Amino acid sequence: MRKMLALYVPAATLLGYVFLFAPLLVLVIYAFNGGRSTVVWEGFSLAWFAEALVDRGLRAGLQVSVIVAIASAVLATAIGTSAALAVVKRPFAGKNLFSTLVIAPLVLPEIVLAVGLLVATVWTGVPLGYGTLIAGHVLVSIPFSFLIVRAAASGLDPRLDEAAADLGANGRQIFVRVTLPLLLPAILSAFLLCAVISFDNFVVSTFVSGVGSTPLPIQIYAMLKTGLTPKINALGAMLIAVNVLVILVVMGRYLKTIRKPS
Amino acid sequence: MTAPRRGNLVTLALLAPSLLSAILLLAIPILIVIAFSFAEQDTYGGAKFGFTLTSYRELFQAIYLPIFLNSLQLAVVSTVICLLVGYPIAYFIALRAGRYAGLLLALLLIPFWIDFIVRMSAWMVLLGRNGTINSALVGLGVIEQPIRMIGTYPAVLVGMLYAFLPTTVLPIYAALSGLDGRLLEAADDLGATPLQSFWRITFPLSLPGVMAAILFVFVPAMGVYAIPVLLGGGKSIILGNLIVQLFLDFRNIPLGAAVSVVLLAISSVIIVCYMRVLRSVEEARV
Amino acid sequence: MKNWKALLASVSLIAFTSGASAAELNIYAWSGEVPQEIVDDFAKETGITVTFDTYDSNETMMAKLSAGASGYDLIEPSQYTVQVLAKQGLLQELDHAKIPNIGNLGAPFKNVSFDPGQKWSVPYIWGTTGLAYNEDCVKTPPTSWKALWDPQYEGRIYMLDNMLAAYIAGLQVNGFDAGTTKAEEIEKATQSLIEQKKVLGGYNSTNYGDLLATGEACLVQGWNGSIAQVMATNPKVKYVIPEEGGSMWIDGFAIPKSAKNVEEAYKFIDYIMRPDVAAKAADLSKSATVIDKAKELLPKEVVENAAIYPPEAALMKADFILDVGDATKLYQDGWTKVKTAQ
Repeated sequence: MRKMLALYVPAATLLGYVFLFAPLLVLVIYAFNGGRSTVVWEGFSLAWFAEALVDRGLRAGLQVSVIVAIASAVLATAIGTSAALAVVKRPFAGKNLFSTLVIAPLVLPEIVLAVGLLVATVWTGVPLGYGTLIAGHVLVSIPFSFLIVRAAASGLDPRLDEAAADLGANGRQIFVRVTLPLLLPAILSAFLLCAVISFDNFVVSTFVSGVGSTPLPIQIYAMLKTGLTPKINALGAMLIAVNVLVILVVMGRYLKTIRKPS
Repeated sequence: MTAPRRGNLVTLALLAPSLLSAILLLAIPILIVIAFSFAEQDTYGGAKFGFTLTSYRELFQAIYLPIFLNSLQLAVVSTVICLLVGYPIAYFIALRAGRYAGLLLALLLIPFWIDFIVRMSAWMVLLGRNGTINSALVGLGVIEQPIRMIGTYPAVLVGMLYAFLPTTVLPIYAALSGLDGRLLEAADDLGATPLQSFWRITFPLSLPGVMAAILFVFVPAMGVYAIPVLLGGGKSIILGNLIVQLFLDFRNIPLGAAVSVVLLAISSVIIVCYMRVLRSVEEARV
Repeated sequence: MKNWKALLASVSLIAFTSGASAAELNIYAWSGEVPQEIVDDFAKETGITVTFDTYDSNETMMAKLSAGASGYDLIEPSQYTVQVLAKQGLLQELDHAKIPNIGNLGAPFKNVSFDPGQKWSVPYIWGTTGLAYNEDCVKTPPTSWKALWDPQYEGRIYMLDNMLAAYIAGLQVNGFDAGTTKAEEIEKATQSLIEQKKVLGGYNSTNYGDLLATGEACLVQGWNGSIAQVMATNPKVKYVIPEEGGSMWIDGFAIPKSAKNVEEAYKFIDYIMRPDVAAKAADLSKSATVIDKAKELLPKEVVENAAIYPPEAALMKADFILDVGDATKLYQDGWTKVKTAQ
C-alpha cells in the first residue's frame, strides 16, 4: 500500500507530462514533412522552416504577440501584486468588494469583455491598436497575477514581519528584505502565466486589435480557412526550441547559484 | 506626517492601479453590456438604448435550457478531471522535485507558447481515424477497425484537460510550495502514515490553491467555445458558442448581452462561494 | 528597472509612430484571398505604405466596422455583407471616375443584383458553395445534397458551421429556393436539418478540408476555394455542385465611410482590376477572377479546374445568397432550434 502510494504521484506526473508533450512531438515531427499535409507523412524536408521564416504575416504576428505579451505581463503582474499586497497586508474598508472587483474579469465571459472593450474604446475615441490590445490583455491577466501572489502572501507567517519590526526594520525594509524575496517565486510565476495568457489570447484580440496589430493566434486562425500547412508546425517547433533554450540558460544559472552556498 | 496617514497613503498607492484598471477596462464595459441587454434590436444589428425585457423573455424559453445544462455539465466534468490529474503533478513539483521544480514548472508552460489552434490540430492528428492512436491500436491488434474519436464527448474532455491543466497545477503548486517540510517530518516522527499526514496536513493547507484552481477552470470552461467545435464536432451547443453566435453571426447584441448577464450572475455565485470558503480556511488556520 | 522602461518606451513608440509617413493604405481583407505578393507589388509601384490585415468571417469584420473607428480604408465584404453595411450607412459611395479599370469587369459581374450599378462595391473574386467527398469511402459520386443525409456515412458527414450555408442545403434538398423568405419553407428546412443531426459527424467551417483529406470525413459541405486547396495535394478529394443548384458568392472591395486614405484605396481597387494583376492574384489564391481579360492570361489547368471554374451548366441553377431582410429572424430561430436539438 505504502509503495503504491509512493509510486502514484510520480507516475501521475509522468503521465501528465507525456499527455502534455505527445501532441508537441507530433507537431515537431510534421514540421519536417516534405508534403503540404500536417497529417500524412511524405518524406523529410527543411523547406517549411524557410517558408515560416519568410512568411511576412507570421513574422508580423509574432512580433506583435511578443511585444504585447511582455508589456501586458509586466503591467498585469505589477498591478496584481500591488492589489494582493494591499489585501493581505493592509487594513481597509471594503476589502471583499475590492477582491471581487479584481477577480471579476475572470468570471465574465471573455467575449463580453471584448465587445464591451470595443464599444468603450469607440466612445472614448481611442484608436484600435497596440494600446487597446495591451489594455485588453492586462485586463484578462490581472486576476491571475492577483490570485497567485495573494495565495502566496496569505501563506506567509505574519510573525516574520513582527520579528523584523522587533529587530528595528521599518516598513520599507521589511518589504524589500523579507516580503519581496519570499514572494518572488509567486511573482515570477505570475509574470510567466500572464505572458502566456497574453500570447495565447484569441477572443479579446479578435475584437480590440487594430490596423497593423494582428497578433499571431488571429493570424493563424485566419490561415485555417486556406488549410494549415507544416509551415505552422515549423513556427511552433522554433518557438519550442527558443523556450527550451531560455529555460536551460535560466535554469543553468539558477542551479549554479543554489549549488554554491551548499 | 503622522504614521496612520502615511499608512493610508501606502494603501491607496497599492490600490490605485487596480482600481483604475477595474473602472476603465471593466466597470464601464460591463455597464455598457448590461445597458445593451435591456436595449431594443433593429434589423441591421444595431441596438437602440431603451428599457425592454424582450431579450430576457426570449432567453427563458425552453429552447435555451439544454444550452445552460450542457455548459454546466461540461464545466463540472472538466474541473473534476483537471483536479484529479493536476493535483498529483502540483504535489510532485512542490514536494518531491527538489531543484528540478523550476524546470518542471517551465516545461508545464511550454505547450502554451504554441498557438491554441495549432495545438488542437495536433490533437486532431493524434485522435483522427487514420491518426497516431488508431494506427497504433490497429497495429497492436487491440481493435480491428479504426474507431471514431473526433466528434465525440471524450475528445472534448481531452481538449479541455489539455487547455486547462497548467492553470490547475500552478495555483495548487503555489499553495503547496509554501508548506513547511518540517510539519510533515514532525507528523512522520509522531507515527502518522503518509496518507494520514496528507489528509490532515498537506491537503488542508493546499485548499486555497485547490479553490483557486477550481475557479480558474470552472468559470472559463463555462464560456469555452473553440474546443467543442474543433474536437467535438460542434453538435451540442454550449454558452460560449451561443454568445459568439448571438454577437457575431446573428448580430443580436441585446440577446447576446442578456446571455452574458445571466452567465455573469452564475459566475458571481461561484465567486462568492469561493470567497466564503477561502475566508473560512484562512480563519481556521489562524 | 531600466530595461523594462526602455521596453515600454519602444512599445509606445511603435504604437504612436504609425501615421508619420506620407501615403498610407490600411486594407482589411479575407485571409488567403489577396496574396501578399500583390500587396508588395502595389506598394513598390506606387510608393504607398500598405498595412494588410485579414479576417476569417464577414461577421468579425462587420463587428469591427460597426464600432466606427476601425482605421481601415479598404475592406472586402461578400455580397450580402455589402447590402447590410450599405443599409447601416457604413460605406462610401464609389466614384467610378477614379477606377478607370472598372470597365474590365466580366459581363455577369457588371450589374450585380446585390449592388446595382456598383454603387458601394466592386467585385473581386467569386466562387460556389457545394459538396465535396473523398473517393476512398464514397464509391458512387454523389450528385445531390441528399448524400449529406445518407445514413451509410453516419458520423462522417460534416456541414459548414454557418447558418446561411447550412440553409442552402436544407432548403434546396426540399426543392426550395436558397434565398427564400417564406416561413413555412424555412420551417421545413429546419426540420430537415434537425433530422440530419443523427448522421452528422459535426459542423465545421474551419478545417473541414483537412477532415476530408485525412478520411475523417467522407462527405462535407464546403466552399470551393478551400476544397481547391485540398485537391491540389490530395487527388482523391472531389468537388461537385449539387443538382439542386448550390449557391454562388462574390467577394468585392468597398470603402468604409470612416476611411482616411480614400485616394489610396481607389488606387488599389484600380490596380487589382488590371488584367495582369487580377490574373496573378487569381492564380496565387486559387480563386476565380471577375475580370475576363485576366482569365485569358491564366494557365490552362487553372481555368479547367472544375473546383475553381465550374462548368456553366452547373452554375445555371445556383442560387445567390442575399440579405433576406426581416426573414433573418426566421432563419435565426430555426438555426437555434437545429443547434440545440439533441
